[in-house]
Amino acid sequence: MTFEKYHPIVLMAYFAAILLICMFSVNPVIQLLALLGGGSFCILSPQKKSFKGFLAYLILFLLITCTNPLFSHRGATPLFFINGNPVTLEALAYGAGMGVMLTGVLVWCRGYSLVMTSDKFLYLFGKAIPKLSLVLSMALRFIPLFRRQLQKVSRAQKTMGLYSSESYPDRVKSALRVFLAVVGWSVENAMDTGMSMRARGYGLKGRTSFFLFRFTMRDGVLLCVMGLLAAVTFVGTGAGLLAFDYYPYISPIDCNGASLAIYLAFGIFSFLPVLLELEERIKWNYCVSKI
Amino acid sequence: MKKNILALAVIAIVAIIIWKSVNIQSVDEFYEKEVPLDNHSGTVTITIRCDTILDNYDDLDKSLQSEEFVPADGVILPETLYEIQEGYTVFDILLLAAREHEIQMEYQGGDENSFGTVYIQGINHLYEYSCGPLSGWTYRVNGVVQDFGCSQYELQDGDVIEWLYTCDLGHDI
Repeated sequence: MTFEKYHPIVLMAYFAAILLICMFSVNPVIQLLALLGGGSFCILSPQKKSFKGFLAYLILFLLITCTNPLFSHRGATPLFFINGNPVTLEALAYGAGMGVMLTGVLVWCRGYSLVMTSDKFLYLFGKAIPKLSLVLSMALRFIPLFRRQLQKVSRAQKTMGLYSSESYPDRVKSALRVFLAVVGWSVENAMDTGMSMRARGYGLKGRTSFFLFRFTMRDGVLLCVMGLLAAVTFVGTGAGLLAFDYYPYISPIDCNGASLAIYLAFGIFSFLPVLLELEERIKWNYCVSKI
Repeated sequence: MKKNILALAVIAIVAIIIWKSVNIQSVDEFYEKEVPLDNHSGTVTITIRCDTILDNYDDLDKSLQSEEFVPADGVILPETLYEIQEGYTVFDILLLAAREHEIQMEYQGGDENSFGTVYIQGINHLYEYSCGPLSGWTYRVNGVVQDFGCSQYELQDGDVIEWLYTCDLGHDI
């Protein structure tokens, strides 16, 4: 992807800004734009996930949407009553908004893990905060590594003829045992990594590292464009142009000029990696067609 | 195979228990329902007012600043007479009144907090913290602020209940 070839500072700034906006905005338009931008970014990336991965997000979304009305009874439009407590339209809408926000954040975190590999992270923070950045890079790598190891162990056990019972309770039990074994392994692995890094003198004064990153003209241009678009969104939010309430009535979505301008700015911001990628592909196809 | 069937049976039983304990009513059904009294031991009156908000109108959430939620005279429910039976608490009467007059209300049950008493979070869409950080619902019986929760105060014949919204931890009522 073109986007991942930009300088780590640009990438870090982009993900920090989009995650911040995504987490703290209550406006459904902003949340939806962020989700769509992140989703298309993940789909376009070469290591794209199977359909199953997106199904998990959908299930999470539905779960949040359905649980919020059970615990929050605010809102002026009751749909029906469960055990004397109202289930309201507003609470349902709030749940849906939270679901969109959470899936948006998760999708962008996935995009982050696709693009910000641990070498980039260590390049940015390895000098300034060596310990924390090592821990963070290990923590961010933890889940994919854990999953891979889990698969390895359970496959190995199955080849030996263990844990291959037909019955579901037995399978759950055996999966739990494999899980415990892998937890132990991962703790040990983390310690090994730490010790090996110390043996190499990581974090000592005067230690140099080799990196291929260079801050070029196009990085600067992209950083400026991003900064401008993000600033428009932040200022708009600060000025209360994107204010939105779910309770007691769902407030109408503002459609005046200023709000539309902010939506447009944030839309471009959220789809920036996708736009860059599309531009690159069109250019590539054009060049190929000329040969 | 045996274990599979066993697991299925357990899941089915849990599902049935949940289904039996859930009681779904439509909006009309909920408000129509009347609670019959076994033997009545007297009458009480109840009022619900929010006049303190009128003095602090600027602190109120923007989305609540309307006639619908804060009446111009601050009276959500004018003085209303209710018959009680032995053991009825302030909370029971509030529940009855809210149901009969279709007033929205949300509360935290006594089993959900550490005080062992029901806490009223909001009446008529006016919630705790809706009008400044010290705001919320409180109640008086016969003009006296009580030291215990509304589901622990057992009513006597002739009691006068007032539910009042405070914007300053009860100092302004």
